[in-house]
This record gives sequence, structure tokens and C-alpha cells, in this order.
Amino acid sequence: MAEPILSIEGVYFRYPNQSEYAVQNVSFQAERGEWLAIVGHNGSGKSTIARLLIGLLRPERGVIRLFGRPLDETTVWDVRRRVGMVFQNPDNQFVGTTVEDDIAFALENNGIPRDEMVERIHEAVRQVHMESFLEHEPHRLSGGQKQRVAIAGILALRPDMIILDEATSMLDPRGREEVLDTVRRLNRQRRITVVSITHDLEEAARADRIVVMNKGEVMAEGTPEHVFRLGGKLERIGLDLPFAVKMGSRLREKGIPLRVGYFTTEELVEELWTLYSKK
Amino acid sequence: MTNNLIIGQYVPGHSLIHRLDPRAKLLIVFAYVLIVFLANNVVTYTVLSLFTFVFAALSRIPLSFIMRGLKPILWVVLFTMLLHLFMTKEGDVVYRLGTFSIYEGGIRQGIFISLRFLLLVLMTTMLTLTTTPIEVTDGVESLLGPLKKMRVPVHELALMMAISLRFIPTLMEETEKIMKAQAARGVDFSGGRFSERVKAIVSLLVPLFISSFKRADELATAMEARGYRGGEGRTKFRQLVWKPLDTSFLVATALLAALLFLLRS
Ligand SMILES: Nc1ncnc2c1ncn2[C@@H]1O[C@H](COP(=O)(O)OP(=O)(O)O)[C@@H](O)[C@H]1O
Ligand SMILES: [Mg+2]
Repeated sequence: MAEPILSIEGVYFRYPNQSEYAVQNVSFQAERGEWLAIVGHNGSGKSTIARLLIGLLRPERGVIRLFGRPLDETTVWDVRRRVGMVFQNPDNQFVGTTVEDDIAFALENNGIPRDEMVERIHEAVRQVHMESFLEHEPHRLSGGQKQRVAIAGILALRPDMIILDEATSMLDPRGREEVLDTVRRLNRQRRITVVSITHDLEEAARADRIVVMNKGEVMAEGTPEHVFRLGGKLERIGLDLPFAVKMGSRLREKGIPLRVGYFTTEELVEELWTLYSKK
Repeated sequence: MTNNLIIGQYVPGHSLIHRLDPRAKLLIVFAYVLIVFLANNVVTYTVLSLFTFVFAALSRIPLSFIMRGLKPILWVVLFTMLLHLFMTKEGDVVYRLGTFSIYEGGIRQGIFISLRFLLLVLMTTMLTLTTTPIEVTDGVESLLGPLKKMRVPVHELALMMAISLRFIPTLMEETEKIMKAQAARGVDFSGGRFSERVKAIVSLLVPLFISSFKRADELATAMEARGYRGGEGRTKFRQLVWKPLDTSFLVATALLAALLFLLRS
């Protein structure tokens, strides 16, 4: 197996003046080009992990390795250049007065010469389909558009990995699709590794692999198919199974011979209408 | 409300004055504030007014916009005028009304002083009408650049200014939202006794402060995640380009100063 692009091993973290660990004994890996979803209820430690991954917090114990090197003071700035993070609130990560200024922010921080900046900004807005908004101020953009600008800001740095920390949870369904489609395209075409943090299993269903967090610990890890077999266990830790998964298992209970492994509504529909012709 | 109350009163345009480098505009206005005091007779005031009116005309901003900017200070101008009219006792008596006398000097002083005030306000409004707040910020940062050597945190101050400009519309929206939410709970923002008004304002400010602190915290985290580590080694996307046009406007202002110096009595 190729060396993982990201690996965290036995990581523990406590916030200052707290006796309880926010994250304990967490280990998982991600490979290049993979889409990894981290799911878990509110307060299960997902955001804390995201912050640990780009060195905003330092683990009390354990090792985090990115791109084959341990994360420490000497590598943290390089890691922040290669790993972009999109946060939950679209407004509170928009630094610039206009779209182009905001995309430029990370480039400025990294000392990219101005001529190259202009080039990279244009390239980045094109990839998120925001070309015609370059001079718009943030209050004239929708939530989904702001999140796409945040993604463009990351793309301008030509990243290897994007972390989405509930980046779609404050958006309407349309904004959510806009953002997810954009990230999915980048994941496929540019082989950008995606770590998508969410409590929406519907969204996680499309990942290559899922890590389930519960009370600061990893409760399960595997392909969506594998993880969704946990069924009621997931519901008991406060997660809502995707409609298609619930529907599929009900139908199976009733004796309808569906194959397992349907996580999106479209897939379920496909299975149902081909069921008869297969007989 | 958010859209017409956009920060400052910038009127978009492509006139000569709009295209001037914000540093040039800042320097001109700053110099102008000093130059105004050179004028002290009819000739110098005429020259000064001519310069100012030409400057305003070049901005191609509709007169109605300019007037709207001047309206709030018209009372002050009028008051200054009347004050000088009645208080200055110089020259011949022009008009006598009971115990009041109006002197020639009073008329002159009244007109001069209020004209001076009017011109000052007109010129400074030209700056805000033709320059976006972020351009002003860039201009100030660049002009104060040399102070960095004296450990003045110029970059940080400019960044602070830019971020507050960026968040004004966001906070305005939020204020509106909170006001509506509190009004739905029965808080009356429009009237009532003083103590009730204070209570209403507090019910608005407390949530606004709490959310602003949360925003600040998240924004700082996001900035760090995007590799921000102070002004050192940073490049700049927004660039100011000094053009021959800017130099010629500075020269024109210098000539104005020289002219007033020669013509004043
Ligand atoms: N800044 C903080 N200070 C103290 N405790 C915190 C802080 N941020 C989060 N926590 C605690 O750490 C735990 C994990 O939080 P978080 O990682 O934000 O969870 P999630 O993102 O999964 O909702 C929670 O119990 C939360 O209360
Ligand atoms: Mg979180």
C-alpha cells in the first residue's frame, strides 16, 4: 500500500482547563485522492480533529503525519499551504472586502508575487464557477457562493487536501449541492484528497470511507456499506441514517430480495426498478 | 437598508478624480485643509473657490449628491455667518436695527468664514464620494509605511480597518435580525420612557456583542488556517499605481498654495 497522505495515531487532546479529553486515542489514515468522511454527533470531537490536523491545536499525545512528515513547528506553515480548510460559517471566514481580495488573502500570506496572484485567482474562480463575481462584496453573495469563494481561496494555493468542517450545514439545499458538486469535481479531476466532516450521513454516504466518532473516540471505520450495517447503533449515538438505507432495510425485513449497499435515493430507485427485470 | 447605507458615501464612477491614486487624494485634501487658511481677501477666496469648484466638477458627481452631503452642515454655516455678522465690529456701519448694528467687517467676516467652512467640507466630501473606503485604507497604509521603521504597527492597523469595513454590512444585517427577534418578544425600540429605551438598546447590544466575539474568534482561526502570520514576508494584492495624473494634481495644489500666498493681504 502506498504511504498515506495523512495519518494520525493515538492522538489525545484536552482543551485548557478541561479534565475530559475532547479527543482520545484517535487513529485513522487517508490516502491520496481519497474522500474520507468523519461523522459524529455534536461535540464528538470532529472540529477538534480538524484543528489538530492543520496545527491550530497541538495533541497532548500521539503523532500526526502529513505528506510523510510529522506535523510540528517546522512543517506547520507548509501544511497550511497544502491543506485548505472550509469552516461552517460562510461569513466568519471571509476576510477580504471583495471576492478577489478574499481569494488573494492566503496568497498574500504565502508571499506569492502579485502577477502570479492575479493568474492564480482567475484560475481558481473558474474552477468554482464564480468568474463573474470577482468584484462582489460578501454581503452580495449567497452562503453557497461564499463557501465556493472559500474553496477558491484554497485552490489558489494549489492544495493537496481540503478539509470541510460542516461546510454545508448552514446552507440551503441548493447551496449545499453547489458546494458538494464543486468539491466532488475537484476530488475526481485533480485528485485532491477530501476530509469531509459532517453529521449528515446522506452526505457521508458518497465518501470512499467513513470514520464514525463518538464522545471523542473512533467508534467505527470503513466503507459506507460497512458502516451503514451498524444501523441502529448509529442512530443510538445521535446520527440519522440516510432515507434510502432505512428504506432498504425495511424492505428487506419484509422479504424483498434487495442487495445491500444502497445509500443514495437514486441508487435505491435504480435497484428497485431493475429488481423485476433481473428475475 | 444595508444596500443604500453602504459604508461611507462612495459614488461609483470613472472620472479623473475617481481615477486619482488614493494617496494623491489624501495628500491633496490634507494640504488643502492647511491652504484654506491662507485665503483672507476677496481675490484669494475667489481663487480658492474656483479651484474647489473645478475639482468638484471634474468628479462628475451629480450636484444633488454633493448637496445631500452638505445639507447637514448648512445650519452650522448659517450660524457661523450670523455670529460673525453681529459680533464683528469693524469698518463702517452698514445697517442699524435698534441696538444692533451690522458693520461692513461683519458681513465680510461672516461670508469669508462660512465660505471657508463650506469649501473645507466640500473638499473632504469629494474624497469620500470618489474613493472606496478600502482605497482610503490602502492609501493610509502606504503613506504611513515609513512609520513601520518606528515600530508603528501600520500593517495591523490597516488590516483592522479593512476587516471592520468588510464586517459593517454583516453586522448591520445582524442588528436588523436581532431587532426583529426582540421586537417579536415585545421589546419596543421606537418609543417609551427613557429607561425602557435603555433596556431595549441593551437587549440589542448584548446579543450583538456576544455574536461579534464569536465571529472574531472564528475569523482569527480561519485567518490562521489560511497561513496568516503577521505582515512579515507578505505580498500585497491591492496595488496602488502612481500616475502622471497624480503628480499633476499635486502640482496644481502646490500652485494654488503659491498663488494664495502671493495674493493674500
Ligand atoms: N474552545 C473550547 N474550549 C473548551 N472546550 C471545547 C472547546 N471547543 C470544543 N470544546 C469541547 O470539546 C468537545 C468536542 O468539541 P468539537 O470538536 O467542537 O465537536 P464537534 O465538532 O464534533 O461538534 C466538546 O465537548 C466541546 O464542548
Ligand atoms: Mg464542529
